Amino acid sequence: MNIFQSIKMAWRSIVTKKGRSVLTMLSIFIGIASVMSIVSVMEGMKEFTRAQYAAMGTNLVTVSIYSWSYDEDGNNTGKDYFPELYSYCESIREYVDGVTPNGYASATVSYGTKTTANMEYQWDEQTGRTISAPPRMSYGSDQYAVCNNLKIERGRDISYLDLERYNPVMVLGANTAKTFFGTMDPVGKIMQVNGQNFTVIGVYAPRTSGENADFMTDNIIVFPYTVRRLLGGEMMTEFIIKAKNSESINQVISRVGGFLKGLVPENTGGYSVYSESTWQESENQYLTMIGLVLGGIAAISLLVGGIGIMNIMLVTVTERTREIGIRRAIGAKRSSIVTQFLIEAGMLCGFGGILGIAVGSVLSYVLGKLIFHMTLYPVLWVTLAAFGLSVFLGMVFGCYPAIKASRLQPVEALRSE
Amino acid sequence: MAKLVELRDIYKIYSEGLESEVRALNGVSLDVDRGEFVAVVGQSGSGKSTMMNVLGCLDIPTYGTYRLDGVDVGTLSDNQLSKIRNREIGFIFQQYNLIPGLNLAENVELPLIYTGMDPIDRRERALAALEKVGLADRYKRFPKQLSGGQQQRVAIARAISDEPPIIMADEPTGALDSRTGLEILRFLQELNKEGHTIFLITHDNGIAATARRIVRLSDGRIIEDRTQEVDWI
Repeated sequence: MNIFQSIKMAWRSIVTKKGRSVLTMLSIFIGIASVMSIVSVMEGMKEFTRAQYAAMGTNLVTVSIYSWSYDEDGNNTGKDYFPELYSYCESIREYVDGVTPNGYASATVSYGTKTTANMEYQWDEQTGRTISAPPRMSYGSDQYAVCNNLKIERGRDISYLDLERYNPVMVLGANTAKTFFGTMDPVGKIMQVNGQNFTVIGVYAPRTSGENADFMTDNIIVFPYTVRRLLGGEMMTEFIIKAKNSESINQVISRVGGFLKGLVPENTGGYSVYSESTWQESENQYLTMIGLVLGGIAAISLLVGGIGIMNIMLVTVTERTREIGIRRAIGAKRSSIVTQFLIEAGMLCGFGGILGIAVGSVLSYVLGKLIFHMTLYPVLWVTLAAFGLSVFLGMVFGCYPAIKASRLQPVEALRSE
Repeated sequence: MAKLVELRDIYKIYSEGLESEVRALNGVSLDVDRGEFVAVVGQSGSGKSTMMNVLGCLDIPTYGTYRLDGVDVGTLSDNQLSKIRNREIGFIFQQYNLIPGLNLAENVELPLIYTGMDPIDRRERALAALEKVGLADRYKRFPKQLSGGQQQRVAIARAISDEPPIIMADEPTGALDSRTGLEILRFLQELNKEGHTIFLITHDNGIAATARRIVRLSDGRIIEDRTQEVDWI
């Protein structure tokens, strides 16, 4: 008996017992669909956080330098360490792409009737995304753009001379430029910052776009950090160094650490140097852990599906023992019987699996849109693994009772009702 | 030339050595030539069904030798036994034992599938066999759609589809009324005339009268073995 015959026979018996076939497929179908959607959502979460980090820039080292000496009025008398850090970073250019303060400014910025004083947060009702908000204002060096993964689209960036001369200038993020100026070119326009005239010298290109667009990522204003004199604000204590690549991160951490050790007096202050990638790693570990737990649950559902198949197959073979007896009497070998049941189980689970993959893909897509506003495609290896596993489970659980039944003497099988 | 069937001191013992020991066959010896029509007769419990299972290679005797066409069946593997059942023996059962999910042609084709015949020849042979029992025009029907007598005729077609030398009929008329029963017996006689060796297992002496040779069993032993004039139907 050839394989084609076996497949035809298996097909006939699948069609003959529709209810049983549907039940079997259902158990596999649910298992696969859930495994696929869970894994896809996990991948989506990872991709989402990765995209966030990528937008912010990678290979960053954060430096904090603080001081606890205060004058009689309670003002921090700590020293501004940035110039020294800046020139030190210049000296280790082989490891460093740039360095900038990472301090937030708080000021009222206005142009004509538009002012940050009355800007409010607004969200898109359908997607839940931010569509309007007051911009985030930062103090930066001439290397702010490098450190924050920004590129100038129009005009020019902050220059070293701007820092030296305390120039009242500013660079806008893409969304901020749109908010204030619409389609007009902002470069060269004068804006009021806390009532003082500041010139817009440039606009950054958007860092996020399309599906990954995040309003706040491009809703920024950057001032040369030296204009803090005009605008006020706390002493800057946090700085960002952009390392050349992931290999140089450790070099930067140890060298800058050594430099600061000699610079910051121990009795009146302190410092810390750490890498963003450490955060990213722990975040990834966290995600992987969640993934394992969810994956475990999904695997259990797949296993339960498999046990369901085993049950149904056991019943099927039992109620078909007589048929097995007839076939044996007519001349079927044991192997023909086992092959037939094996193929039958494999086909049932295969159909269930294909159905599960279809629904799992749709679920992945829908969940991706709903949760992350991203297009999530099913992960290939998970799809293949889930499919392979379901067919394998079906065959294992399907052929065990068949082997048992084929071991009976034909006369015993014939006797069963 | 060797006898077609040669049974020597066949025992079939269940629960041997226990108090509940049952000797379904208790030392049976029998020779059957090609072309014979043998009725194996006995009350229920006489061992006639066990006899048929042993003769049909559906069951293995506890002791004794069974030579089929000179081959000692006891030495054969399970696969070889399957092959013998497939090529040498056609079965007709009391309960017809057709497979409900297959249509008539597919049921009749079944032995040929296990023989390994290609689909076109197979269908031709199956239709020819169905033609013989007068059901060729209904080959697409399913067993459930037929009467008992018709189902038994399909079973006959299945039994003869690959032209086995031996036909083994176990109470073939047991589930039928007497008129359709006679029809089945007539088919058996015809097959005998064509050269098939027929074993007819029955408890009914009237039915046994259609056979040339009577082998009567009681308590697992042969108590009578004679030839007789045949009631031709």
